[in-house]
Amino acid sequence: MLEARPPASRDIPGRKRHYETVYILRPDIPDDAVVAINAKIRKIIEENQGIILKLENWGKRRMAYMVKKQRKGTYLFWSYLGGAGLVEEIERNLKLSDPVIRFYTIKQAENVDPKAHEASFNDEVFSAAGTGGVEEVEPVESHDDRREDYDGDNVVLNDIPGTDRGEDN
Amino acid sequence: MSYKQSTPSLNDEEPIRGRGRGCRFCLDEAIKIDYKDVSLLRQFVTDRGKLVPRRMTNTCQTHQKAMVTAINRARMIALMPFTVVAQ
Repeated sequence: MLEARPPASRDIPGRKRHYETVYILRPDIPDDAVVAINAKIRKIIEENQGIILKLENWGKRRMAYMVKKQRKGTYLFWSYLGGAGLVEEIERNLKLSDPVIRFYTIKQAENVDPKAHEASFNDEVFSAAGTGGVEEVEPVESHDDRREDYDGDNVVLNDIPGTDRGEDN
Repeated sequence: MSYKQSTPSLNDEEPIRGRGRGCRFCLDEAIKIDYKDVSLLRQFVTDRGKLVPRRMTNTCQTHQKAMVTAINRARMIALMPFTVVAQ
């Protein structure tokens, strides 16, 4: 449990704040390490009267720039309701976790009624987020990549010599 | 009204740019500016990763501010580049 932190003067009693946290893990860690960090964050949120709305694993993505000498990273996305001091505690724990190379939290809304949100979070979602990290998801990089999904023209284009533009960059 | 003649035709492949049209987000309120929607944010930066000015995209001030916030958030979690260095 956190030490009691006084709520802000604009906080309405009984309402919570809506936060979103994204953290990036090193790409080379095993699945159970991903689960271990998720379990830690889940425990913190649940122990502090937070409500988890969403947990998603975006898989191993190529990052737009290198972070801690890594080109790829496993992205975890959380959406949750919580009160004063919860984000501090989560970020303190993420900072201490070695596989976490980047974390970022934003506040989506204040004074959200917890009853108005239907949480789809359960153990199934939690375990799915642990194993989602294995799949290699390449982000859509350029207009040329989108052309590949476009069926009709593409087949013809590849047959004509000299029209293949090859890899971008 | 020379600016109307220079309006490029609507094309699905092209990002919507050019004068003569209103703010995309005011015209269609279903489009939400979200820092996770990289394919949308990409249309508001140049190939070098720099922000496209409001006058080029016809975005209104309210939505341009929201767009800049979203792009900066996406940059923080490495979904979008700060800069793209020439190869």
